[in-house]
Amino acid sequence: MISAFFRKKELRVRQEILKGIYEENLRIIGKKKGALLRQRTFSPNRLLLILCIAAIVVLAGGNYLDAPLLAEKQTAGGTVMRQLPWSAELPNPSDFKAFITNADVSVSRTFGLGVKTIMIDAGHGGVDSGTRGKMGTAEKDIALDIAKRLKSRLDKYGRFHVVMTRSEDVTLPLNKRVELAREAKADLFVSIHLNYLPSKPINIIETYYFGPSADSKTQELAEQENAGSQYGLGEFKEIIEKLGQKLKLQESRELAYSIQKNLFANMEKENGNAYNFGVKRAPFVVLLGAEVPAVLAEVSCLSNRQEEKQLNTEAHRENIAHDLEAGILDYINKGEAGYGADRYAEKR
Amino acid sequence: MAQTDTRKKDEVLFVGIDLGTSRSSISAGNGKREWIESFVGWPKDFIAMQVVGKPVLFGSEALQNRLSLDICRPLEHGVIKEGINRNDEAVKEIIRHLIELSGPASGQKIQAVVGVPADTLKVNKLAIRKAVTEFVHSLMVVTEPFAVAYGMNLLNNSMVIDIGAGTADFCIMHGSIPSEEDQKTVLTAGDYIDEQLFSYLSEKYPNSKFNKNMVRQFKEQYSFVRDTPEEIRVEIPVDGKPVMHDIKNEIRRACESILPALAETTAEMIARFDPEFQVKIKNNIVLAGGGSLIRGLREHLQDALKEYGPCKVSCVEDPLFAGSDGALKLAQDMPSKYWEPL
Ligand SMILES: Nc1ncnc2c1ncn2[C@@H]1O[C@H](COP(=O)(O)OP(=O)(O)O)[C@@H](O)[C@H]1O
Ligand SMILES: [Mg+2]
Ligand SMILES: [Zn+2]
Repeated sequence: MISAFFRKKELRVRQEILKGIYEENLRIIGKKKGALLRQRTFSPNRLLLILCIAAIVVLAGGNYLDAPLLAEKQTAGGTVMRQLPWSAELPNPSDFKAFITNADVSVSRTFGLGVKTIMIDAGHGGVDSGTRGKMGTAEKDIALDIAKRLKSRLDKYGRFHVVMTRSEDVTLPLNKRVELAREAKADLFVSIHLNYLPSKPINIIETYYFGPSADSKTQELAEQENAGSQYGLGEFKEIIEKLGQKLKLQESRELAYSIQKNLFANMEKENGNAYNFGVKRAPFVVLLGAEVPAVLAEVSCLSNRQEEKQLNTEAHRENIAHDLEAGILDYINKGEAGYGADRYAEKR
Repeated sequence: MAQTDTRKKDEVLFVGIDLGTSRSSISAGNGKREWIESFVGWPKDFIAMQVVGKPVLFGSEALQNRLSLDICRPLEHGVIKEGINRNDEAVKEIIRHLIELSGPASGQKIQAVVGVPADTLKVNKLAIRKAVTEFVHSLMVVTEPFAVAYGMNLLNNSMVIDIGAGTADFCIMHGSIPSEEDQKTVLTAGDYIDEQLFSYLSEKYPNSKFNKNMVRQFKEQYSFVRDTPEEIRVEIPVDGKPVMHDIKNEIRRACESILPALAETTAEMIARFDPEFQVKIKNNIVLAGGGSLIRGLREHLQDALKEYGPCKVSCVEDPLFAGSDGALKLAQDMPSKYWEPL
């Protein structure tokens, strides 16, 4: 008897409390009790709801009919890029023939048609001088000068929108550069740097695109060039794994080849000590943002005394700008004229 | 109306959420119970986004990646304002994440009761509702200690003391929903202990490098008041080399620093009631929250209150989920007609 009495009392208390919470929450949203409980029975609301659902069903029905047509159109236009089976890992040279005759690749190579905005990134700047030659020439100054020359050369064509990450001697963190490239919706990204090799009196020319790198020299260089970022090399391993699929690595590689070839061919004539270090992969932060072809060119070498002298002449800097221009145009024309495949195969 | 009355159980998922300053948990009708630390981090820039690989991170994962993230602990200062410090956004993310963790079936309606620190609720009632409402079908917010009390069936003649990170919340239950008078909040809680411990340790070992995170971990591992037979020594790097540090005294002093306010507030709140009622409440005091894990705290409080007559203090079994379990029970007990307008 007694326990039943208490149970009943407890139940009443519980109901009282639940109601209290309900009313409190009604007050919070500024509704009055009572009015709302009745609202459920209003049929006009119901009717409106049914009408809305009916309308949605009709609209959706129309869409279903359109959908397959749309997909076909896209494929025919050639803008759809299917994921290459090996896109994370590039083919080794012996696979290259298969690589370029693959139908998917020829679709992706029409990419060149789309090149409108070219972003030029002069390495370092402001408090970050980059490397410095024995006579005191700073990488940041030479890189900027060449970048400006390259811009005005490309501007002459009138068909490109050429933008610079920096046009003055200012400090610009790497992640900011990446951000700029994304904001500008760049179709191509070229970062200009100068090398330094203290142990040998040679002039190294090399061009990089983003990717993992096995050799320690390259790792060192990457660490140097990434100094302006807050990210450590450990983190890059992850980034590379994650981004491998997304970055346009095939195109970046081609752009790199194109630039490297032009740079070296001309440099060889001017400086007997020029060495072709070729195209390499390295985890440079600055190449990360663009999901478009992006390369970093070490266009010259400040540790080479003769080269440092020459870099202080306008003519030499103009020549380098010319070589970069030629490399970029080669790459773009290849895509546009569609004659790239054979030429490319030859070169290999 | 026939529809609502005969609705199948599975059409609705009831969830109870404890939205805490340091930890948030969810208990769901489908049996899932999950918790996260109440930190939200968003990648600072595009590269950071690539590094962490997701648009938003939570809890310890957010802390591990803190260099790449803007971190927010939304209820830390008890105020949620739209557009300021992304607090409201962070609350939304926490709620969304917790609900995801509870694994609702597709198409299931979610009816949620959310427990919030008493002080936060006082000034942010609408803001909290707004932040949560997006992810649930119907929603009720309650104060956190009340959710604990309801879950433990302490509806009458009882008192809950929820010792969290930012605040300790007191709530007296006397058979109806507690009014503002029945609830009180003090700032001497977990974070306060951390600050004390940090300054005691920095004072005693000026050459050792401490940070807030380390200090909190020491506390959570060794917390006690009064006495404990064990030695408490930890390894901390000094000039790069690990060195053993005796921190027993400092742990004790820091933990004991919250005792006076706890005992006084409890006595003061109980004193407002009739003597007959006072006796009942004093025999029904329950400690909840992470702070209730401090060894010796229950005994100390019980002894301190004996001064005013006999008294019994106990601890909830599972401080991490006591709040969300209580909120879930509220959600399940709530008559369906009450859910509809909310
Ligand atoms: N074993 C422990 N001893 C002392 N304090 C603890 C222990 N475990 C957790 N805490 C502290 O409890 C607080 C978190 O409690 P919690 O109830 O989750 O807080 P909130 O509701 O504010 O999120 C933190 O300050 C935490 O450091
Ligand atoms: Mg809590
Ligand atoms: Zn450089």
